[in-house]
Amino acid sequence: MKKTYFLFSSGELSRRDNTLCFTSEKGRRYIPVEDTGEIMIFGEVDVNKRLLEFLSQHEIVLHFFSHYGYYMGSYYPREHLNSGYMTLRQAEHYLDEAKRLALAREFVRGAAKNIRQVLKYYQGRGKDVNGQLQAVENLLPTIDSCGDPAALMAIEGNLRDHYYRAFDAIIGLPDFVFQERSRRPPKNYLNTLLSFGNSMMYTICLSEIYKTHLDPRIGYLHATNFRRFTLNLDVAEIFKPVIVDRLIFSLLGRKMIGRDDFERGTEGIVLKEKARRTFLEGMEEKLKTTIKHREIGRVVTYRRLIRLELYKLEKHLMGEKPYEAFVARW
Amino acid sequence: MFVILVYDVAQRRVARVLKKCRQYLHWVQNSVLEGEISEANLKKLKMELERIINKEEDSVIIYHLRTTRYSSREIMGLQKGGDENII
Repeated sequence: MKKTYFLFSSGELSRRDNTLCFTSEKGRRYIPVEDTGEIMIFGEVDVNKRLLEFLSQHEIVLHFFSHYGYYMGSYYPREHLNSGYMTLRQAEHYLDEAKRLALAREFVRGAAKNIRQVLKYYQGRGKDVNGQLQAVENLLPTIDSCGDPAALMAIEGNLRDHYYRAFDAIIGLPDFVFQERSRRPPKNYLNTLLSFGNSMMYTICLSEIYKTHLDPRIGYLHATNFRRFTLNLDVAEIFKPVIVDRLIFSLLGRKMIGRDDFERGTEGIVLKEKARRTFLEGMEEKLKTTIKHREIGRVVTYRRLIRLELYKLEKHLMGEKPYEAFVARW
Repeated sequence: MFVILVYDVAQRRVARVLKKCRQYLHWVQNSVLEGEISEANLKKLKMELERIINKEEDSVIIYHLRTTRYSSREIMGLQKGGDENII
């Protein structure tokens, strides 16, 4: 599986000897193109057109993050899997109210079930999350009776409200109390971690979408608009509890990230670089772990799981098999 | 699949072999590269190397490791290259 590279240092990324080369004060580091899936840029990196052409040829996506670690944008190379057919199917499912709702519902259901799974796991480990688990269970059936995507979003919001309230019981660290969800900018440590993790999840989903025929601009739960990619947000909903939240719990549980890893900047609270690295290392580790897939009967990585989710979506759009969101069973 | 590739080729071909290998693997030391590589890419790399080297004079050795799970790497002295993906 092709690798993700994270550039934290400052320097120049260029095409050299038909491969990628990162030149910083520490010297020259060659990155094997053939083994590169995407590059996430956090440092001050210079790039030229020659490089972008080269990246397009090799279908490598660049994601840029600001000084504060916020997602800024992507260099999304020319679509290499062109399929007007799939775009039309996607649009069809968006424009048809009933079809859109069915898909949006499935995304919320997937997210809800994975949230339930996470809560159940911690209930089994003796954490006091019964109340929240009950609340999530109660909300699950309301998903089916929901009439439009906006209402679905509202249910999703409620769901997460209850879910996040369980975080204090799960984490049990006074430095990392949840209080309330705050974004842009996040107002406490836990929110900072959540925001950072979620934005990484969105970009990873976007990179996976790039490898399929799907168009990231047409999402179902999140309304398609003029501004941003939305399909990756939909897909990420399913995986956020399984990947991001669990990673945060384990990083905090193992004391790999503590209160010293945060900085109060003008843009709210941000993660220091060292902690960002720790987080991403953990995330890479997580995405690389394998599980036995029930349906296809062989082991797949979490990252692969995301792609399989997209293939299932394609199948749904083509009318081959109704889409059913992935639900973790552990 | 994880491979370690070492080469010993005539001087005039060193640069070409190195450049080719760097497209697929991580440089770790003079004449030594390693890295995770797919079955297909390895085949591609081997074919392209065959075109560069002179079979009478040069030698390239590729060690295959199915996984790195049971191996460990120890470095004495300088670390010259690397394969970490967080730079």
